[in-house]
Amino acid sequence: MLTLENVSAGYTAVSVLKGVSARVEAGQFVAIVGPNGAGKSTLFKTISGVVAPSAGTIRFEGQDLRTVPAARRAHLGIAHVPEGRQVFPSLSVMENLEMGAYTEAGRRAWKRSLDLIFGLMPVLAERRGQYAGTLSGGEQQMVAIGRGLASAPKLLMLDEPSMGLAPAIADFIFDKLIEIRAQTKLTILLVEQRVAEALESADHGYVLEAGRVVLDGTNATLRADDRVRQAYLGM
Amino acid sequence: MAQVVENMLQALAAGLLAGAIYGLMCVGLGLIFGVMRVINFAQGDVMMLGMYAAYYLFLSFGVQAVFGSVFGPYVAILLSGPLLFAFGYLIHRFLISRVTGARTTRLEGEGHFAQLILTLGVALVLQNGGLIVFGSVLASIRTPLSSSAWEIGPLWGEDVAVFVNKARGIAALISVAAMIVLSAVITRSRLGKALRASADNPEAATYMGIDIDRSHRIAFGLGSAITAVAGGLLATNYPFHPYIGIDYVIVMYAGVVLGGLGSITGAFWGGMTIGLVQQLSTLILPTQLQNAAIFAVFLLIVFFRPQGFFGRMVERT
Amino acid sequence: MPTLRSLGPILVAAALYAGLAALVTNSYYQLTLTLVLVWAIFGLSWNLLSGYTGLVSFGHAAFFGLGAYTTALGQIYLGLSPWLLIPAGAVVGGLAGLIVGIPTFRLRGHYFALAMLAYPLAMLYVFEWLGFQEVTLPIKRDAPFAYMQFSDPRLYTLVALVMLLAVVLITRAIEGSRFGMALLAIKQNEAAAEAAGINTLAWKLRAIALSGAIAGAVGAFYAVVLLVVTPPSVFGMLVSAQALTVSMFGGVGTVWGPLIGAAVLIPVSEILHAELGARIPGIQGVIFGLAIMAVILLAPEGVYWRVRDRLRQRRAAAPVPEAPPAAVEAGVVPFAAPARPSRARRRTGEVLLSVRGLSKSFGGLKAVQNVSFDVHEGMILGIIGPNGAGKTTLFNLLNGFLRPDAGQVIVAGRDRVGAMPHELARAGIGRTFQVMRPFLRMSVRDNVRVGAYLRAGSEDEARRLADAAVEQVGLSAVADRIAGQLTTKELRLMELARALAGQPRLLLLDETLAGLGHGEADEVVAVIRRLAEGGITIVIIEHTMQAMVRLVDHFLVLDHGAVLVDGEPEQVTRDPQVIEAYLGKKWVAHAHA
Repeated sequence: MLTLENVSAGYTAVSVLKGVSARVEAGQFVAIVGPNGAGKSTLFKTISGVVAPSAGTIRFEGQDLRTVPAARRAHLGIAHVPEGRQVFPSLSVMENLEMGAYTEAGRRAWKRSLDLIFGLMPVLAERRGQYAGTLSGGEQQMVAIGRGLASAPKLLMLDEPSMGLAPAIADFIFDKLIEIRAQTKLTILLVEQRVAEALESADHGYVLEAGRVVLDGTNATLRADDRVRQAYLGM
Repeated sequence: MAQVVENMLQALAAGLLAGAIYGLMCVGLGLIFGVMRVINFAQGDVMMLGMYAAYYLFLSFGVQAVFGSVFGPYVAILLSGPLLFAFGYLIHRFLISRVTGARTTRLEGEGHFAQLILTLGVALVLQNGGLIVFGSVLASIRTPLSSSAWEIGPLWGEDVAVFVNKARGIAALISVAAMIVLSAVITRSRLGKALRASADNPEAATYMGIDIDRSHRIAFGLGSAITAVAGGLLATNYPFHPYIGIDYVIVMYAGVVLGGLGSITGAFWGGMTIGLVQQLSTLILPTQLQNAAIFAVFLLIVFFRPQGFFGRMVERT
Repeated sequence: MPTLRSLGPILVAAALYAGLAALVTNSYYQLTLTLVLVWAIFGLSWNLLSGYTGLVSFGHAAFFGLGAYTTALGQIYLGLSPWLLIPAGAVVGGLAGLIVGIPTFRLRGHYFALAMLAYPLAMLYVFEWLGFQEVTLPIKRDAPFAYMQFSDPRLYTLVALVMLLAVVLITRAIEGSRFGMALLAIKQNEAAAEAAGINTLAWKLRAIALSGAIAGAVGAFYAVVLLVVTPPSVFGMLVSAQALTVSMFGGVGTVWGPLIGAAVLIPVSEILHAELGARIPGIQGVIFGLAIMAVILLAPEGVYWRVRDRLRQRRAAAPVPEAPPAAVEAGVVPFAAPARPSRARRRTGEVLLSVRGLSKSFGGLKAVQNVSFDVHEGMILGIIGPNGAGKTTLFNLLNGFLRPDAGQVIVAGRDRVGAMPHELARAGIGRTFQVMRPFLRMSVRDNVRVGAYLRAGSEDEARRLADAAVEQVGLSAVADRIAGQLTTKELRLMELARALAGQPRLLLLDETLAGLGHGEADEVVAVIRRLAEGGITIVIIEHTMQAMVRLVDHFLVLDHGAVLVDGEPEQVTRDPQVIEAYLGKKWVAHAHA
């Protein structure tokens, strides 16, 4: 569904990604793990078009994304749940979800998506009229995930959904991801720092370090490889 | 005593009427700033264009003949809205968009300069181009209502009465109505929500599939149209000339800051406050200083409550 | 100080201009020549504040107008000569600058710009109300020279030229000095400037006072030239816009910008006005506006910078290649090098920094909760923790950017909670930032010099300290390269050098290794280790433990704002709590299974 070939990207003074290749098959759950600063978020931004690649190609369902402007990519079925949640603070929870459903597919599936979202996260139904900016971190993360689901995507990309959340809340969010996966069979691309949780339910994992893929394989392979541990802990 | 009360009431009425129009004017600027974070120097001149657009629309296309001299001006004013929307939309598409958005981050903070000076250039062209095209003779959109008034009163016995100029009263009512319609559009429509989302977090809005450039173009067009309509309403009471924008751009900045940069209803109340300050100040200050009073209030607000008095509930992150 | 060589082009230009003025006999053209200089000076005045600090002033007409009215009213009511009144205008303008600056510098960005707009316009109405709608300077036929009423208009141009040269000299002297560097640092990143020991408010006030003084002086002169002063002609928005326009057209932040802008725009507008003004009033403004728009669209950084960057590119025909990716590690994570041996020794130094019960919340989020630790002289302390653990907030509390809700920050025995960042910098706390903000157009050496002024008494000393710091981090070879051409690693080292140049006792490093490959990180680690051996105490933040294990003597692990573990590297990397914070608790569960 999504293939990256030798993608390099970065910002004015800093190059972050240095030739990343990866692929996500339809229906797969792929996790990208790696220490901070490895370029995971930049990789996501490159896929959703906010950062332009300096080299390499990205294909989504066979289509070369280079010619597709960032705002069009959501309409192709790519939903990006960004790092740090980034909800629309002065919009209500409901309006945030409506913005998720801004795409054609999202509007068509609106009723169904809403049932799914409120079924998974009933607290959002309770808070539907509240400004998203006044919610707690965990609730905002739920809004962000709900917003991603509301677009009725083909590919759901989640960037560190556990970041900055208390452990119990982070566990809760992870459980929700597993439920989403079980209920929708969505293709999911997840970036996480917490390796174990990320790999637990993923079909395939990539370890990113300093802008390069240093290791990839199935859950079991990665877990068994000491290098993952080294990448994080240094010994 | 009765005279004092009457003067106060009269000034209050004048302030409310002027304030409603100023409020609408400020909403135009506030919308542009709120969505794009761009200070538009040319907003006063867009208002001037709105005045002339209404003026010429009234005189041509049979507007005067069809709608008469009482309704004609208001029809012309409303027609000027779409015209100036197109104008703002195109100005953004071909000029402003080139120095805002992603391109500005390329240079060391110089994008900010670039955008300011670009709108300054647009302002200069509009003012002076206006002089060439429209001439320097004062113009006005006179309606029979401009010279008649409603009398409210007598109040408190026989001595106190307030006169409300009909043209100003109607202009204020139309302003308030326009504001209500606009609030409904911004809060309820899909477009309004997309604009607010773009303002809140452009990056996340892009992830939703919202084209930020398009949001900005629409905001610029809409902001131009709103201020232009306010200008047209103002023109039914006051004569105007091609350089009139400079006088009002200040009122607009003051109102928008007062209301809290980025807040649209705040901008309306900010403009209203400016109108009240301007008119009430005449009770204690010489008329020449009424604009100085605006600045004094403006500076006090900026120093002591820079988030404005009517700022949004939720801070932009 | 500006060298004679760097002033050469300006002196030549001045001489040519004087020669041109001497040849012009038409009094209208001569007036244009004078006005070019007037607006160039005014542009330089604006540039001194806004160009160097990045705080856009829409209100320079306030100072200009006060100067103009100083001359007009001083001559009418006090009978004073402009020779005295122009300096008096400078004093008035300078004082006005201070009075305006003290409250207004509390504002940032758009608010600053809009507040500045209000001053001249308020003054405009006040002066109209005072009855100074049109003030004409009295003609002094008996003593034309004493009252600067020259019969030969060329003399006005000459006086203006002298004023301009003086202002150019002042600007050039400032540009390369501690003053100019402070302003540039403010423009780039005010917070970082404070952290580097720059008292930003003091420098900004100096800048606006000087800028106001120059504007006041040139406004005073303008009144002498035109003999009539009206509020709109000196306080009007177009006057402020004029300063902005000539500077931005020519290029902001350089002495050449306003000169080029005035030299091109003023004659164009005056000639258009003279040739077409009668037939098509306003044509001048239209052309002017179009010219501005064209420049912004084609060369938004201004004519000077565009031309200079072009020339640079052409000269450096072969662009400096980005360093090849340091030895690709073909998917292998190298094993950790053995830890440093002399650890025990390092715990014995006296306590340089002691943090006691530090807490800070933002709304409901407890960013830092009750954090306590000691930093001993000469040690390297690593602060690690996952994203959002509160590491950077902790640094901001340590160097005074944030005020803690509770707790103490004791530096060398003294509680420094509430001190300003520049005061803490003076007390010996240096810091680098996660997000680098180098001055891309300045050389490495000059970038580093900004940090050296903290200790340096003179320009020479600053240069020496900067060179020493550049050498310490091993960048001597690229010291003259502009920062825009450096690699990530070199930029990180440059930031390190900038902090070092201030001779800190304690260095706070915020993610200095972020974004570096293994080889690069190792090089930077080696540099940091050398610094520590040289006696600097270091606290370093990192997300990853990778390179850190080899670097630090002691770890402080933060999670959710609180200290999770405080211990030596070997111990920390085996601590189940740490492993859980980093790899997730399921990892631990599996490990034990």
